[in-house]
Amino acid sequence: MKKTFLAAACIALGALSTPALADLPVAIAGPMTGQYASAGDQIRKGAEMAIADINARGGVLGEKLTLEVGDDACDPKQAVSVANTMVNKGIVFMHGHWCSSSTIPASDVYAESDIPMATVSTNPQVTERGLKNVFRIMGRDDQQGLVAGNYLASHFKGKKIAVLDDKSAYGKGLADEIAKAMTAKGAKPVLRESITAGEKDYSGIVTKLKQAGVDVLAYGGYHTEVALILRQAQQAGLKLTVMGGDTMTNSELVTAAGPTADNVMFTFSPDPRKNPDAAPIVEKFRAAKIEPEGYVMYAYAAMQLFEQAATKAKSTKYAALEKAMRGGTFKTVIGDLSFDAKGDQKAPGFVVYQWKDGKYDYAK
Amino acid sequence: MAYALQQLINGLTLGSMYGLIAIGYTMVYGIIGMINFAHGDIFMVSAFIAVTAFTLLAAADVTSVPLALTFVLIVSIFFTSAYGWAVERIAYRPLRGSTRLAPLISAIGMSIFLQNAVQLTQGARVKPIPPVIQGGLEVWSTPEFTVQIGWSQLLIIAVTVVMMVGFTWLITQTPFGRQQRSCEQDRTMASLLGINVDRTISFTFMLGASLAAVAGVMVTVYYGVIDFYIGFLAGIKAFTAAVLGGIGSLPGAMLGGLLIGLIESFWSAYLWAEYKDVATFAILVLVLMLRPSGLLGRPEVEKV
Amino acid sequence: MSAVVFARHQITPAERLRDAGWVAFVALILGIPLIGLTTVDAGGSLEVSTRFGLLAACVVAAFGGRLGLRWMIDTMGARKLERQRADTGKSVGISPVKVVNVIGWIALGASIALPIMYSDNRYVVDTATTVLIYVMLGWGLNVVVGLAGLLDLGYVAFYAVGAYSYALLSTQYGWGFWEALPVSGGLAATFGILLGYPILRLRGDYLAIVTLGFGEIIRIILVNWTEFSNGPNGISSIPRPTLFGLEFSRSAAEGEQTFSTFFGIDYSPMHRLIFLYYLILVLALLTHAFVSRLRKLPIGRAWEALREDEIACQAMGMNTTNIKLSAFAIGAMLGGFAGMFFAARQGFISPESFTFTESAIILAIVVLGGMGSQMGVVLAATLLVLIPEFGRNFSEYRMLLFGAAMVLIMVWKPSGLLSHREPTLRLSRGGARNQDALEEAAQ
Repeated sequence: MKKTFLAAACIALGALSTPALADLPVAIAGPMTGQYASAGDQIRKGAEMAIADINARGGVLGEKLTLEVGDDACDPKQAVSVANTMVNKGIVFMHGHWCSSSTIPASDVYAESDIPMATVSTNPQVTERGLKNVFRIMGRDDQQGLVAGNYLASHFKGKKIAVLDDKSAYGKGLADEIAKAMTAKGAKPVLRESITAGEKDYSGIVTKLKQAGVDVLAYGGYHTEVALILRQAQQAGLKLTVMGGDTMTNSELVTAAGPTADNVMFTFSPDPRKNPDAAPIVEKFRAAKIEPEGYVMYAYAAMQLFEQAATKAKSTKYAALEKAMRGGTFKTVIGDLSFDAKGDQKAPGFVVYQWKDGKYDYAK
Repeated sequence: MAYALQQLINGLTLGSMYGLIAIGYTMVYGIIGMINFAHGDIFMVSAFIAVTAFTLLAAADVTSVPLALTFVLIVSIFFTSAYGWAVERIAYRPLRGSTRLAPLISAIGMSIFLQNAVQLTQGARVKPIPPVIQGGLEVWSTPEFTVQIGWSQLLIIAVTVVMMVGFTWLITQTPFGRQQRSCEQDRTMASLLGINVDRTISFTFMLGASLAAVAGVMVTVYYGVIDFYIGFLAGIKAFTAAVLGGIGSLPGAMLGGLLIGLIESFWSAYLWAEYKDVATFAILVLVLMLRPSGLLGRPEVEKV
Repeated sequence: MSAVVFARHQITPAERLRDAGWVAFVALILGIPLIGLTTVDAGGSLEVSTRFGLLAACVVAAFGGRLGLRWMIDTMGARKLERQRADTGKSVGISPVKVVNVIGWIALGASIALPIMYSDNRYVVDTATTVLIYVMLGWGLNVVVGLAGLLDLGYVAFYAVGAYSYALLSTQYGWGFWEALPVSGGLAATFGILLGYPILRLRGDYLAIVTLGFGEIIRIILVNWTEFSNGPNGISSIPRPTLFGLEFSRSAAEGEQTFSTFFGIDYSPMHRLIFLYYLILVLALLTHAFVSRLRKLPIGRAWEALREDEIACQAMGMNTTNIKLSAFAIGAMLGGFAGMFFAARQGFISPESFTFTESAIILAIVVLGGMGSQMGVVLAATLLVLIPEFGRNFSEYRMLLFGAAMVLIMVWKPSGLLSHREPTLRLSRGGARNQDALEEAAQ
């Protein structure tokens, strides 16, 4: 029985790894299941639309694109497994992963197998390790933290500001940068703490904030915890303004926090929906009943980046593609993209937003 | 001082919730001697049922809070105990009489299954409901700090006390309680004396699940936001509470729950919030070193 | 399986229908709140939407499924009864030990041949490496749970200690894989003793929760003590192991040679993957040899004696403290080696890889495989790694199937897939009973 089992396992493994019979497979990877599944969903919708559009234009170098979707559930081990699967499928370009902790180990696999990738992960380590194939179409946590920290120091002068994080790679990195930037501007945080993500009871920390007389909370982490903190603060009679990072773009925040969500500000790249060049695409998304919020437009832009780089390089081979990406400037729905030597986007520019009645807009 | 009082209130509320879930653990452990790892997920299922029920009520324009609460409690207890029954029937009953570890693994599998089943059928997004009970009592007001106790916090503490008293009565005073205790002591002898062991065990699971349902409704009312992942952490904490108090003992579970709630809230109030779980587990280890069967547990006497 | 067969009365179709109807009714009750009703986000607040069609389909499926299942169990039961009747008197010659041995050799041959057959397929080699890591972890935990009978729910702590000690030694102090190997194992063993010491008096489930707590404590410290472990960011750029100083990279550091230049072959990233695969295979085989050897030594016998009856051990004048501590230490050391290899393979570790779920999966491997059975661990590890991997094709049902499989396997084989346990000391006789057990395993 064992023998047949082994044989079956071998055959099945082989079958799983047969390369898809596609003209040009490109891939996205991110949390399609699990706690952050809604972000994965945005990426998928954006990429599907982009590929449909590109194929309608006749594909890339005369070949049609097909989309492979990998689910890493934001788990580093699964991310490596997904990366290996994708390599086997012979993909020529990867948009992903989403969580920094998944992108870092997965990028090693893509680097070895000569696959260029464009990611939206914001942890500095993603591009700091000298991998040639990694491009980042989003800003970095240190830039993001700087913008948030400076904004807090100048707009909330004399207010008591606390800095909190959720102990994730993303959250802690961001919170550290915010605290650093604030302190540099002379606004030292009155409280610097961490909470455990995934819990429901934050009354202890809310009471602590109340005791310290905190007015503004700078938070590094995901939107679900912010919603809970806001609700519990309201119950405890504490009025809080929250400053968060790009994860606060998720509309789930508004559903969960209710009217208190109007107190949430966050930093994010300039809204691609406001980009006049992107207006037709935005219209197209809305016509398909997809609100192009969060990462939707980034996924679209990543595919555009690939299309234009391949056209420019007249090849989808790694060396040519990589050279084209590093050297060129690309017109995408999120604005003009060009990269520095590390692979970071040259003009990232973070802007401060605020939620208002279920929509977000630039903060005044 | 006011600050400490506020943290005490927070700790008691949290502790009551842990206690409610821990009693369910302890009852199941008492009767079949297994750790029901899926208990936390049954609690999670009940919270989802509560959210659906609250949303239905909102759609039907029911505004009376006591009426709504009663309805949600009944609905949630009914369906959740069905889940408790089914889990026992599917995953544990076939394993009765096998090694001690088999039901443990099957319970872990069940926990993974329930978590993913809920994620699939109800979605991965968080489920919020508008605040059900608002406002509270200002207990004490000093110039720099106002101590508040929310009505929902009072409700949780009151419900926990009622449940605690009710279940102690049920176990110590009623015929069912006698059957249940006899099954705990010796299942073979109990069945020889005409007690339907299968039915008693099933009923115990349903009671445990009902307690989880009450806790699920309370969590939904108090926090207002739930997701498919809440069962895991709550389950581990409640399990710790049950062991701390002495697994198998109802007052022990309650005591353990309260202690853990208080440790967590005072540790994060005065020390480093990020190490509060370390504190909880360290105290558990200390207690078990001094009293190997928990605070109120009876020491196991083994006859040779 | 139940050996005693009572007089069977013929079960009527009506009874079967009633039984299936009851199951369908239960499915309906369970399905209403989760399948029949669901809440959807409607512009800032929730709304209830209904899916009664789907619910009806599920209820019908439950009805049909139950009928089918009962029919299958009945026919199989009847066939088995016939076979048992036919078999009585005939005793089968080959000893089960031999069969398991033969299977073991075949598995070994297959695992040696695998990277040659799939030398251009990263995914297969990489997944097989993951399987072997779990096999090694399973064998390590088997010492604690299977042999010594101590329930450990925090085994991942030692895995983490091994991984972090290599990661820190190599990135901070420039140690190589081979120098760090004994140190990581030693550190993990020390932690095993540290954990074992305070909880010597605890039994059963009290032991379980304390070990669980220990695992969580280690993880929380790794997350929070940023200066030491780099916190949630984890440690990246961990150097890969070398083959006697030969690196597996495109270009070597100053004064070093790479594997490909040394042998004069073209560079391929597959070389490293295959090397890692063989490395973990060798480590796992060494573990196996080590544990099998220990079982025959007094210490191994003492573990098994302790598992069977602690009081009797004490009465015999055995030092239960040392026996328990040695089980914890050796189990932990093996976990540490596995963790170290994990760090070297991934090149990146963070506390997220060392959660309670991981402990639960390792324990599940030991129990599903059949406690104390070395081959069982291999089988269970293969299953538990491959089920989620196959599930990638239907991504969202992946973990659902995983959980269901755990329950079903346990219910189907409560004492594990290869439950046959060979007594360490035995009188020489092959038993027909054992043969039965093996046949069951083969079904």
